[in-house]
Amino acid sequence: MKRDRWQSVKAVVTTWGRGALPGVMVIVAVMIARLTGALQFLELVTFDRFLRLRPAEPMDERIVIVSITEGDIQRARTYPIPDREIADLLKRLQTYQPTAIGLDIVRDIPVEPGNAELTSVFRSSKNTIGVEIALPDRSGFTVAPGPALPSEQVGFADAVLDADGYQRRSLLGAHNPQQEYRFSLAIRLAERYLAARGIELGNGIRDPEAKRFGSIELTRVQSNSGGYVGADAGGNQILLNVRSGTMPFRVLSLSQIKSGQVNPSWIRGKIVLIGMMSFSAKDQASSGAIAGINPGRIYGVEMQAHATSQIISAVLDGRSLLRVWADAWEYLWIVAWGLLGISLGRFLRSPWKILFGILVASVSSIGICYGLILLGWWVPIVPVLLVLVLNGAGLMAALFYRHEQELRLRLEERQFAIEQTFNAIHSGPLQTLVGILRTAQEQATPPPFLPELQRLNQELRAVYGSVQREAIADEPHLRMGSAIELALQAPLHELLYKVYCNTLEQELPYLKTLKFKIVQFDPLNTSHLRLEHKRALCRFLEEALCNVGKHAIEATRLTVICTQEGDRQVIRVADNGRGKPSQSETLSLAQMDRDRETTEEPNPKLQPSGLGTQLAKNLAKQLGGAFRRYPNQPKGMVCELTWSAKRRWFR
Amino acid sequence: MPQTLPQPEKRTFLVVDDHAMVLGGTLNILKQEYPEADILTAATAQAALEQIAQTTPDLVIVDLVMPETIGSIAQANSGLQLLKTLMEKYPSLNIVVQSAHVQTLVWLKPLIDNHMGGFTVVDKSQPMKDLLAMVDWALHERIYTPREIRNGLQLKPAWMQVLQFAFQESLQDTAIAKRMNVSERTVQCYWTKIRDVLEVYPQNDKNLRIQTEVRAREQGLID
Repeated sequence: MKRDRWQSVKAVVTTWGRGALPGVMVIVAVMIARLTGALQFLELVTFDRFLRLRPAEPMDERIVIVSITEGDIQRARTYPIPDREIADLLKRLQTYQPTAIGLDIVRDIPVEPGNAELTSVFRSSKNTIGVEIALPDRSGFTVAPGPALPSEQVGFADAVLDADGYQRRSLLGAHNPQQEYRFSLAIRLAERYLAARGIELGNGIRDPEAKRFGSIELTRVQSNSGGYVGADAGGNQILLNVRSGTMPFRVLSLSQIKSGQVNPSWIRGKIVLIGMMSFSAKDQASSGAIAGINPGRIYGVEMQAHATSQIISAVLDGRSLLRVWADAWEYLWIVAWGLLGISLGRFLRSPWKILFGILVASVSSIGICYGLILLGWWVPIVPVLLVLVLNGAGLMAALFYRHEQELRLRLEERQFAIEQTFNAIHSGPLQTLVGILRTAQEQATPPPFLPELQRLNQELRAVYGSVQREAIADEPHLRMGSAIELALQAPLHELLYKVYCNTLEQELPYLKTLKFKIVQFDPLNTSHLRLEHKRALCRFLEEALCNVGKHAIEATRLTVICTQEGDRQVIRVADNGRGKPSQSETLSLAQMDRDRETTEEPNPKLQPSGLGTQLAKNLAKQLGGAFRRYPNQPKGMVCELTWSAKRRWFR
Repeated sequence: MPQTLPQPEKRTFLVVDDHAMVLGGTLNILKQEYPEADILTAATAQAALEQIAQTTPDLVIVDLVMPETIGSIAQANSGLQLLKTLMEKYPSLNIVVQSAHVQTLVWLKPLIDNHMGGFTVVDKSQPMKDLLAMVDWALHERIYTPREIRNGLQLKPAWMQVLQFAFQESLQDTAIAKRMNVSERTVQCYWTKIRDVLEVYPQNDKNLRIQTEVRAREQGLID
């Protein structure tokens, strides 16, 4: 009992193993492709796409951007904006009592006039954070913060870019070349803002190296997180979950602040980010996740706002940060979808069902992944779609192949069985019986059982005959597909003769009235014909003979010539019937051709093209020959296809 | 009844059959009827072809189902194939087909129509005297095919020409041969084919040409 169950389990596993092997190979191949990073680009693009598709979120009122625009630069008539302007701006902003001010403009070198003023403003305002560039650029330079700012009032503005130049991660902390640990502007601002609400920055619980505000841990990006493969995960990075919507933050202009045209509640208790929003300042960032008038291009200060906003919103609103699954779960997820693809083929046998199944599964997987993005989970979608579609397509192909194979095998088996039966009857009982019959007939007084013997002979022959008809008559069924390929290897004139014999046995009205047939089937040169040409020629003859059978009223004579005349090869079918005049709509196309042609001149170019005629013409064209249908003398029709016996080198 | 001709030279017959019983029976009766003849046997298609190539027999009696080579299974195909090869390689060879099932020959009809030698068919269950008659006819280069392989009244265009020249223009064979640009022997061969189609077989004291004309007119082959 137990053994039986084990056996059946084993059998299922074996079948699955054999049937699913290609599918498993597809899964493995896709996983390898993912591991080598071949899919990274696609995964990142899809990730961006999903983020962009999210519904718009309301404006984050906690962050206000004060932009220094091209107009402000033109008014100042100097660039960089002088320190006095900045000092003035900071002083004005402080009157609105913001919780923190982030100055996303480097001030490592004094920009006179007004440096003294700015220095004193920096010294007096404890809520102001200045920026530095902590990590060296290509030339190895870093940018120091304003000298007046104590180090806890400095955050770096460095960005981590992907290979495509897009910013998808936010760097929160990193060691500078002097091995000092530096914090980013975003984390500095968030820290101040949240500290004002009693939430302190701490170390992660699950991951001690991660940062944490209250219960919200900012999960670090690893080099293989999500769709990333071997990304530079140096420092403390988190995925950037930009705020969707066209107006994520309130943007005020420098002149607005100067002229006091602001609602104080916009700034009081908020974070103010001051930055350049001018193309000439070139402080820009790229993101595929942000939809806009100029997709993907935003100002650096806006990116800082996004980075700050996502931390504060996560802590205070429970807005999700982007997280990823552990690698093992990701690959399990891919394998699961791959197995689903394989089982679709295992349980749905019809190609259309599989196609539909794959479609449903693909749409569902996309839907699920999008839903997960909304919940803050970035899970692999590209490899999932790949395993699904490849397995589906593979299964479809395999299914068609299997169907073809089965059909071929069945036909072969059937043919074999027929031949065996035929040979068995022939070599055994029939031979014995004919021997007995012959001896019995020889005798002067035939034995009394002679009639029975003769009947037995008849019966045996009937069985034998039917079996043999099966074995031989199958061949000219030219529409049977692959099984016929072999039969088509026979010489063309023999094939044509078989078609002729078989067609003549069809129940067609005017084949019965035929009194005699004049036929000639000579070997034809078929060296330049392909199998489908031979098949088409057989069909042509069948069609022509059927036309005689259907439309050649009271035909008594049928001429079928398949021979070579000069350097032309010809198949000609002629009858001496009379075509009937058009009576009803039920006439077949061939009949219509025939009727019209009897009245029109036999110029092939002027002949109307019915379906049969069109096929014949196409065939003639392929063979580089001609198809004609013209009246026979004294009555009837001639249907003729001629083509060159020589190989054509052109065409 | 079979007619025995004076035999100018020693005849050679070849009997091809893989059934010992049939082979033995055929051999016996042939020996009785043609005691002078040299009778060879072959049990496979391959052996038959070798024998024929060596001895060029006057007559071959073949079965339609036989093994290709010794030890292989008898197949309908290999017998037919042998017959095809024989007719293609030896267009004037006299052939008697003796088989338990002669219907298969229908596929070879165009080839049989082109064959210039004698060609007769006898079913294995027919009495021995029928076999002897068919052997005799084949030796006389006559044609006899059973009705089931004849496909109704089916003629070649050349035979129609012969009929027209003979019965509409009343031409002699020599003249017909000239008109058709073939040898007189070919015209005679056409006649045997025509007679087989019209089922005009030699009977004592009947004029074959007149009989043929009557039958051809009956069938509407000539107006």
